[in-house]
Amino acid sequence: MSFALGVLPVALLLLGFPIYLVLLTAVSVALIFYMNVPLVVLHQNLFGAIDAFALLAVPFFIYAGELMSRGSVAQRIVDFVQAGVGRVPGSLGVTTVGTSAIFGAISGASAATVATVGKAMLPAMRRAGYPEPFAAGLITAVGAIDIIIPPSIPLIVYGMAAQESVPRLYAAGVLPGLLIAGLLAIYVVWTAKRQGFEVGSPFRLSAFLRAAARGAWALGAPFIILGGIYGGIFSPTEAAAVACVYAALVTWVVFRELGWSDVVEAAASTALFTGQVLIIVACAGVFAWLLTVQQVPQALVAWIQSLGVSQGEFLLVANVLLLLVGCFLDPLSAILLLTPLLIPVVKALGIDMVHFGIVVTVNLAIGLFHPPFGINIFVAQSALGLKLEVIYRGIVPFILIYLGALALITYVPQISLAGVRWFLL
Amino acid sequence: MNRLMTAIERILALAFIAAVCLNFANVVGRYGFGRSIAAADEIQIYIMVFMAFLGAAVVSWRRQHLRMDVLVRFLPPGLQAALRICEIVLLAAVAGFVLVQSWRYSAQMLAIGRTSDVGGIPMWIPHGAVTLGFFLILVVSLRSSK
Repeated sequence: MSFALGVLPVALLLLGFPIYLVLLTAVSVALIFYMNVPLVVLHQNLFGAIDAFALLAVPFFIYAGELMSRGSVAQRIVDFVQAGVGRVPGSLGVTTVGTSAIFGAISGASAATVATVGKAMLPAMRRAGYPEPFAAGLITAVGAIDIIIPPSIPLIVYGMAAQESVPRLYAAGVLPGLLIAGLLAIYVVWTAKRQGFEVGSPFRLSAFLRAAARGAWALGAPFIILGGIYGGIFSPTEAAAVACVYAALVTWVVFRELGWSDVVEAAASTALFTGQVLIIVACAGVFAWLLTVQQVPQALVAWIQSLGVSQGEFLLVANVLLLLVGCFLDPLSAILLLTPLLIPVVKALGIDMVHFGIVVTVNLAIGLFHPPFGINIFVAQSALGLKLEVIYRGIVPFILIYLGALALITYVPQISLAGVRWFLL
Repeated sequence: MNRLMTAIERILALAFIAAVCLNFANVVGRYGFGRSIAAADEIQIYIMVFMAFLGAAVVSWRRQHLRMDVLVRFLPPGLQAALRICEIVLLAAVAGFVLVQSWRYSAQMLAIGRTSDVGGIPMWIPHGAVTLGFFLILVVSLRSSK
């Protein structure tokens, strides 16, 4: 059985086979050659894994983000943040951070933020004389905040895999997301002062109010989504559907930037994304069932306990493992593959599952822009025309900032858990 | 084949928009009129099931499935081509195996006339999405082998 559940999937994964095929092959081999159970369990588990209302929030939030990133929403948020930043050294860099954080509270898809915010901010930073590696590194790294700040797609998938409440995870993601945004902004200001970057225009209330009025419709989305969830008005799935309708109305009816064909095209691209991700969710569901009936998680827990590992030591090892995996796998696949194995150990060691969900997400967020293969690096390269070596040179300080934030978030659980107490009514 | 996949993609997109509208109508109905559509949740979930399995077939056709291909990129082209052939053979075998199991289950649902708990939707329809999805994936793998 260790061949079917260990050697085979790892070998196929390293050989570059599609992840759903890796999982399905392992399950099929185990069922045919090693187990004596009715084969119908394969279909039952494939179907059962995605027969869940909560999972609908994934395509709904993706769709809302797709619609919002197609019009002038990003530019309106940029104008609003820039008007609010005022006379700060490196105001354009700070605006990039602030815009990404707000966009993250609408979309939750990191790559879209890098492309959308990057297109708005990179030319401005170039004109202002920012060094290319700095601007490239900032834009590539800042998008990763979006999978930490709610609504986050990886947090929904973690919630499903770990059977943890998505509203609690969403409440826990706010402060860690803002902490990273704050650290990035401080680094931008510090570098700007040291290297003499531009200083923003003085704050003027009239200009700020004008920008706020122009961006009000775009800025309304986070209030509806997060206010609805935290206020107990909507479930995350309903909030996601309301966000879709709101995004369609704003971009189609209010701004008149999209037509019916754009709305359908965005839905088609969401359907494809759903096909990419939910097939892995379905296959990971069967794989997790197989691990459970073979008592693999229990064996892992017993082994970890026999080593006498403390909470802190386990979290350190989990961080290294997740950072490594995150360098090669996308966050959703990594969560689906690792959560069934890690969660029983997390429970046995008495680590809070919500806190651990945020630790997992921050690790995998770093993987999104970590050289050499972070997906956001390639998005920045293709969508913004940045050279790979320039991004690699510029990204290093931002990786260090994220790692510093990760250490704080890992070993100070209150950073995550305070949000659960504050934001949930 | 390309036209079939584009048509599936289009149908899934329209069904998805219907799911969004259904969910929104339910929220409005609940808060505005104190009523909700009983089968709305089931219909939305089943649309998502179709999106997952039929969408996976479209993704297979376009070769856009998520994979960890960073190491394979460093292999010589000949070895990469050999791996591609292995993948097609494995995909056909696994998709065929799942198709048979799924077909049996969906046929059983049809034979016993099982319906969903709230909406009374015949359960062979959502279960058939798995069957149809893996049938299409099998067809895609066989077409890729040509």
